[in-house]
Amino acid sequence: MRKLFPLLCCHCLFFFAILGSLAAASIVDTIDQVQPKIVKIYGAGGLHGLEAYQSGMLISSEGHILTALSHVLDTDYVTAVLADGRTFEAKLLGADPRLEVAVLKIDAAGTSYFDLGKAVKVDAGTLVLAFSNIFGVAQGNEPASVQKGTISVVTRLEARRGAFETPYRGPIYVLDVTTNNSGAAGGALVTRRGELAGMLGKELRNTLNNTWLNYALPIAELRQSVDEIRAGKFVVREPETSRKPRRSLDLPSRGIMLIPDVLQRTPPYVDHVLPGSPAQKAGIRPDDLIVLLGDRLVASCKVLASDLEYVDYEDEIKVTVLRGQQLIEFALHAADGAKTLKKGQPQ
Amino acid sequence: MNEKMIGAACQQSLPSRNASRWRGMDQRCKRMANRVVRCFGRMVAVVIAMASLLCLHPAIPAAADDADAQGQAALRAAVDRVAPAVVRIETVGGLERVGEMLFGTGPTTGIIVDPAGYIVSSAFNFIHKPASILVRLSDGVRRPAKLVATDYSRMLVLLKIDADKPLPVCDVVPRQQMRVGQWAIAVGRTFDGDHPSLTVGILSALNRVWGKAIQTDAAVSPSNYGGPLVDIRGRALGVLVPLSPQGADEMAGVEWYDSGIGFAIPLEHIQNVLPRWRKGEDLYSGRAGISLKGSNPYTGAPIIAACRQKCPAAAAGLKPGDRIVAIDDRPVARTVEVEQEIRRRYAGETMRVTVLRGRQRIEAQLELAAKLEPFQHGFLGILPMRGEQGQGVTIRYVYPDSPATAAGIAPGDVLVSLQGEPIKGRNELAMRLGAMEPAAAAEIDVRRAGTLRKLHVTLAQLPEGLPPGELPPARGSGKAGQPNRPQVGAIRLKVPEFSNEAWAYVPETYNAEVPYGVVVWLHAAGGFQWPELLARWKPLCDRYDLILVAPKSADSSRWMPGEAGLVDRLLLDVVSTYHVDSARIVVHGQETGGSLAFLAACGNRQMIRAVAAVEAAPAGPPPENDPLRRLAVYMATASNSAVVRPAASALAAFRKERVPVTVKNLGDVSRSLNADELAELVRWIDMLDRI
Repeated sequence: MRKLFPLLCCHCLFFFAILGSLAAASIVDTIDQVQPKIVKIYGAGGLHGLEAYQSGMLISSEGHILTALSHVLDTDYVTAVLADGRTFEAKLLGADPRLEVAVLKIDAAGTSYFDLGKAVKVDAGTLVLAFSNIFGVAQGNEPASVQKGTISVVTRLEARRGAFETPYRGPIYVLDVTTNNSGAAGGALVTRRGELAGMLGKELRNTLNNTWLNYALPIAELRQSVDEIRAGKFVVREPETSRKPRRSLDLPSRGIMLIPDVLQRTPPYVDHVLPGSPAQKAGIRPDDLIVLLGDRLVASCKVLASDLEYVDYEDEIKVTVLRGQQLIEFALHAADGAKTLKKGQPQ
Repeated sequence: MNEKMIGAACQQSLPSRNASRWRGMDQRCKRMANRVVRCFGRMVAVVIAMASLLCLHPAIPAAADDADAQGQAALRAAVDRVAPAVVRIETVGGLERVGEMLFGTGPTTGIIVDPAGYIVSSAFNFIHKPASILVRLSDGVRRPAKLVATDYSRMLVLLKIDADKPLPVCDVVPRQQMRVGQWAIAVGRTFDGDHPSLTVGILSALNRVWGKAIQTDAAVSPSNYGGPLVDIRGRALGVLVPLSPQGADEMAGVEWYDSGIGFAIPLEHIQNVLPRWRKGEDLYSGRAGISLKGSNPYTGAPIIAACRQKCPAAAAGLKPGDRIVAIDDRPVARTVEVEQEIRRRYAGETMRVTVLRGRQRIEAQLELAAKLEPFQHGFLGILPMRGEQGQGVTIRYVYPDSPATAAGIAPGDVLVSLQGEPIKGRNELAMRLGAMEPAAAAEIDVRRAGTLRKLHVTLAQLPEGLPPGELPPARGSGKAGQPNRPQVGAIRLKVPEFSNEAWAYVPETYNAEVPYGVVVWLHAAGGFQWPELLARWKPLCDRYDLILVAPKSADSSRWMPGEAGLVDRLLLDVVSTYHVDSARIVVHGQETGGSLAFLAACGNRQMIRAVAAVEAAPAGPPPENDPLRRLAVYMATASNSAVVRPAASALAAFRKERVPVTVKNLGDVSRSLNADELAELVRWIDMLDRI
């Protein structure tokens, strides 16, 4: 029994230790495991309200850092400070201006890091932790700040050109946690188990409703560019905004004449329809209100005109009108009009 | 248990007859004890080992991990449950901006409240007055919508779409089941995609904003205004709206977006008003038309100080002096409680009001109205003497062609009582008589050279004319300066919250028994030179008992709206240091200073009694005329002035609200007041305590 008692005690302690550590697992352990991978970045700025700091995360054991492409990197002297306080000069390996991401390189080895290949997709309602140096509060060997929140919704930023001041047009995670602050850009968004989900985005205003957006870029969207930058094979692709067709569509060519655009937001009412035109053949009538171009709402004549700038002259367009209380969809081909004109037949 | 104990037990239970036999037994006991203990120990060890291994098994999650996973699943399930009833609203046309406010073109959110196709959303989503409204249901189908009616009290709109089949609605949480601290999830549908957005928080408070709303700390913003606030079971608590206890328009409260404070109108309430609302009836906040006594609504008892004619309270038979003791079944002891009861009701609702009149307890049925007739102060036609102690009011001056003239009142007479009640002083008389309206009959007791006469007068309207060239003095010559009096002469003023410079002039003959008027001068663009300004105003201040306050704007080219706060602070400072005549607090400004003067006066009805504007017009609508708080306006413009048109329309608006406006024509060319005109303005100020 004398031999057994200590054995008994050990077993009991072991048992409770296991229970105890598992009960404290999830967030506390996740934080301990993630903090060493977060980097505090310092560079250009400090004037005109633009801060000179932001965040980043280590993505390899040789010192590659993933961060946001911003004014902070607009200098030859970018400094990266790790969670343990070690300071390095960081070199810009490359950047993708379309995604607004950049990869830095520091002369460090054996650091803990996020493997982008193991990143996960998350959806609305997922509990997430955001790691970043918001407001530059963490200095030297102080670890970055952690915020707890939820994924608000997964959506795309393609709504309206000019609605968001960023060239990025892909999926984003809108966050229910206040990350829209100086220094957060480039930080890491992880699940409660420490799986990487996204990179915190730059301060961004949603001009569709005049609010600031808290969001992160899903890792899946960045992966290819980051890998190419690391391999030295990255080629800058033009942002999509510059892809206008050589000749874009105008409504008169399909036979639709809108009312004069004199109000702040003139509703696109059809004033009259040209005889023999594709619009007349399709059945569009005067006083119809054009509400949808394709699947997208057109809130005014100006919006309709700017959307049409990206539609090729030859393309077929689907137009939905509001007639009284009815929504009617029409398909307008260029073919009819073009063919008829070419053949020279009387209208 | 140990061997010794088992051994001892063995020994105790067996009688000791033969030592050797017992020694043998003892040995056997010991061996048995050892075996039992070893067995037991082994069993325990095995159990613990198995338990440890089981704990290490990853298939069994630890308690905390489980809670997070369950939390996530519950949030998702709650949103999924309410999602079919949440719609996206898109609008076409409308305004882009009003003043400096830019309206977004993005989608907003709504919630289906009736399977027939009635949808509720926030009035904020429709301020821009769109030409067309499209509703996109959760299945992607779009339908045109009509705006049926607006609830201006709760800032909600009701829309209607044609539904060929019954539309999904959500479950509603009854008010009494709500608990502060429970989960609250704000749901919106403004982002691209089929899944609604969610933000998470708790219910922070119930019965906010005059009992109309519940409060949450979930992020509430234009991204989810109009959408539902749901509980953890996916049942709707309310509809999200921007609200503010201070403002009342559609924009009020938007500046608090995503700030930790958000409001929702309980859906149970919406269901109650839906029958009225469906008929297309706009809903307005109810007004009763009573003014309650006292300046602190939290401590004062609700005693009626004024009851406008042609308003619900008068129609119900209530009178000044009545003390409200209960509304419906709720006993009320303070003014703020009466306000709460009234402000959460709609126009058209009936309230049962119980009042105490003397010793009598009277019940009245009051039907609240949406709008009240503009109030007009009654006018007797006299200027009172100032600085008098004791009861009664001595006449200083009688207006020509006024009820006072017709009754034969002359300067020097003493007004002793009004409607049978003794007059306690000129301020009290001004309040009581001002609460009566023109054409009302008043009975006044007047004393002249010892004889008392009873006069019956019919009150008239306040005059709008320019003052006469000369006025009799307002007081006897008082004692000059006393010891321990505050600073007099030209002084510098400083307000901690504002960095602006400010000067003041207090007449050197300042006497604490004399009530002094206050003129706040707001300069035109370019600022001013204090010595020059002082030279212009000193003789006028000395003669007419005025204190001049002159701040400088932070930006020398214009005043900013926020500087109205500076005017309020300066006035507070002056009023707390000197003996100020509350009837003669005037804000006087030119051009940009004049605009700020109007803004300050509209924002501070408590203190400011008049606006004197030169070449300026107000930016916003005039305030309602308040029985207990007079407002008088003086506007001087030239015919070629840039503000001629806005000034003319402002004039019409003020007159519609029955605020008296005195107009001064500056001729053809825009300029400042010359010395004579300034003296005339100061005489106009001197007459502001007219009764």
